[in-house]
Amino acid sequence: MKAKSRLERVLRSGHFAVTAECGPPKGAGPEMIRKKGHILKGFVDSVNVTDNQTGIVRLCSLASCALLKKEGLDPVLQMVTRDRNRIALQSDVLGASALGIRNILCLSGDHQSFGNQKEAKGVFDLDSIQLLQVVRGMRDQGKILGGEELSEPPELFIGAVANPFADPFVYRVIRLEKKVNAGAEFIQTQCIYNLKRFKEWMKMVRDSGLDKKVYILGGITPLKSTRMAEYMSKQVAGMDVPEEVINRLKGVPTKEQRQEGLKIAIETIQTLKEIEGVHGVHIMAIEWEEAVPELVEKTWLYPRPEV
Amino acid sequence: MLEKELGPRIRFFPLPCSGRIEPLHLLSALESGADMVYLVTCPEGVCRYQEGNVRARKRLMYAQKLIEEIGLERERIELVVTTDKDLLTIDGLTRGLILREAIVDPSPVRVKKHKGKYMDSYKGVRK
Amino acid sequence: MITAERKPLSEIKAMIAPYRKILVVGCGTCVAECASGGEKEVGLLSSALRMDAKMEGREIETKEITLDRQCVYEFIEQLSGLVNQYDVILSLGCGAGVQAVAEVFPEAYVVPALNTTFIGETKEAGLWVENCRGCGDCKLGYFAAICPITRCAKGLFNGPCGGSKDGKCEVNPDTPCAWQLIITRLDESGRLNLLQAIHPPADWSKREGKGPRKIEREDQKT
Repeated sequence: MKAKSRLERVLRSGHFAVTAECGPPKGAGPEMIRKKGHILKGFVDSVNVTDNQTGIVRLCSLASCALLKKEGLDPVLQMVTRDRNRIALQSDVLGASALGIRNILCLSGDHQSFGNQKEAKGVFDLDSIQLLQVVRGMRDQGKILGGEELSEPPELFIGAVANPFADPFVYRVIRLEKKVNAGAEFIQTQCIYNLKRFKEWMKMVRDSGLDKKVYILGGITPLKSTRMAEYMSKQVAGMDVPEEVINRLKGVPTKEQRQEGLKIAIETIQTLKEIEGVHGVHIMAIEWEEAVPELVEKTWLYPRPEV
Repeated sequence: MLEKELGPRIRFFPLPCSGRIEPLHLLSALESGADMVYLVTCPEGVCRYQEGNVRARKRLMYAQKLIEEIGLERERIELVVTTDKDLLTIDGLTRGLILREAIVDPSPVRVKKHKGKYMDSYKGVRK
Repeated sequence: MITAERKPLSEIKAMIAPYRKILVVGCGTCVAECASGGEKEVGLLSSALRMDAKMEGREIETKEITLDRQCVYEFIEQLSGLVNQYDVILSLGCGAGVQAVAEVFPEAYVVPALNTTFIGETKEAGLWVENCRGCGDCKLGYFAAICPITRCAKGLFNGPCGGSKDGKCEVNPDTPCAWQLIITRLDESGRLNLLQAIHPPADWSKREGKGPRKIEREDQKT
C-alpha cells in the first residue's frame, strides 16, 4: 500500500483541510514554483498547480508538481482535457504517479479562444467526467480505457471541480452526482462570494446525501481591489460577486482595499467552517500566494494537523 | 415619353414594387454604362406589399458593398425615398435628379478615370 | 445543407488574374440555398468581374452556367462542350463540387470562389447556423436532438461546464449554451433522467477515419 496523499489523510481523519493553488510561470525556470512552494509549506495540506489556465501557455502542471514534490509539498495535478487526447492523458496520469504525485483534479478546461494560442485546436477527446472515470478505472481496476491491463496502477486521490454559481442552477447537483459516480473523491468549488447562494447549493447537496460521498472544499479567492471584483463579476464566466461585496471594497480607500479583501476572505472561511458538509477550504490566491499564510493563521487553521 | 425627351441620358426600369429589385439589376445598370442608378421607393410604412421598401434598402446596400469591392463608389447607387408630401410625378422627380446630378464623374466602367464635367451623362432610373 | 461564403473578391481576382476567358459555374443546391453560389450569385460575381476588368483596362469574357448539383458527375458532364473553350473554371460550388468538377475535367484549371464552411440549417431567411459535424456516430437520440459536439464549444458529452451563464456559452455570448438547451428540452418533456448515465468517450475514429472517408454500396452500383 503506497503512502496516501497528505490531503487524503487529512480529510479521512476528519480534519478541516486547507489547500491552495499556485500558477506556474510563463517560462522555463523552476525557481518561481519553488519559491511559491516555500511560501505555502506548512500552511496548507496540498497545493494545486493549474494546467495552462485560460489557455495561456505556462510551465506544465506535471513538471511543476514534480518540482513541488521535491520541496516536500503534496501537489495536486490539475489536468484539463482541452490540450491532450486520451493517449496523452492516460500517459500523464501514469507519469504523475511515477513521480510521486498523489492527487489529481480532472477538469475540461477553459476554451482555447481565451488564451494566447487562440488558433490552437481544442482537443476535448474526453470531457472531465469521462476523465474521472478513466482515472478511477486505471487506479482501481488497473486498466486503461478499452480494458488493457497496466503493469502497475497509478496511486492517486481523485478530485473534480464544482461551480455552485453557474447555470443551470437546478442541474448543478445532478452534475455533482455524476462526478461522484464517475469517481470523484474530493471537490474544489469555484470561489465563493455569494454565501447565500452557496448555502442553498450545500443544502441541495446534503439533501441528496452527496456530502457523505465526497469531500467538498469551498473555494476562496481574496479580492485585491474593486477593479478586481468588478472584473471578476463581469468578465469571468461562472462567477457570482454580489453588489454588497463590491460595495464593501468601494467603501474603503484604495490603499486599504487589499486588507478589506482579506477581511472578507477570512469571514467567508470562518463561515465555511460552520457549514455542514464542507470539509475544507481551497484558497486560490493566484499571484498573491503571500496572502495564504495570513489567511490560514487568522482563521485558526494554523498549524496544520499531524496525520 | 420622358425617355424620348431626355434621350439617351436616362433609362427607366419599372418594377411592381421596389422590393422586387435584385442586386443584379443594379450591377447590370452600372455595367451597361450608367453613371448613376437611382432606386425610387415609397416611404417607409406605406408599401402596399408591406415590407417591399425595407427589403429594397437592404438589397441596395448589398449591391453597394459589392461595387465597393471593385473600386466603384457606393454613391453611384442611390436610394430615393419619396415622401407622401411629394406631389411629384416621375417626371418632376427625374428632372430634379438630372439637375442635381448634372455634374457627376462618369463611371469608370464606361470610361477610364478622367476629370471634368459631362453634361450628357448617362443615368438609369429604377422604380 | 452545406454552407459556404464567397471569398473576398481580391482573392478570386488573384486566382484568375492571368486568364481572359472564365467559365463561371454555380450550383443549384446547397450554395444556392445559402445565397453564395447559386444562379443569382453567379450573375453578380460575373458582372463584378467584368466591370472590374473594364476599369483596369483588361478584357475578359465570362460564361455563366449553373448546374443542378456540382457534386454529381452526371450534372458536371453538361460542361463537356464548354470546358476547353475557357482558360479557367471559377467554381461557385462547395469544396465537394470544386473537386468533383476537377475530377471530371482533370486538364482544366478549376478554382474555388467560395469558402466552404459548415453543415447547417436555415434558421430564418438570411441566417444559417451550424448543427452537424459529421462525426459518423450520431447520438442525437440521447441529447434531445441537440448535437453536443457541434453546439457545445467544448464538445462535452456530460456538460454543462462551469462557464454556462444565463443560458449562454462562455466562449461566445451570442451562442446559447447547448447543454442548457439540452437540459431544458429534456426537462420539459420529462426525460431529464436520460442525463443521469455517464456518456462514454466517443469513438472519434468514425470521424477521423484513416484519411478521407468513403461509403460503398454494392446494391447502388450499376
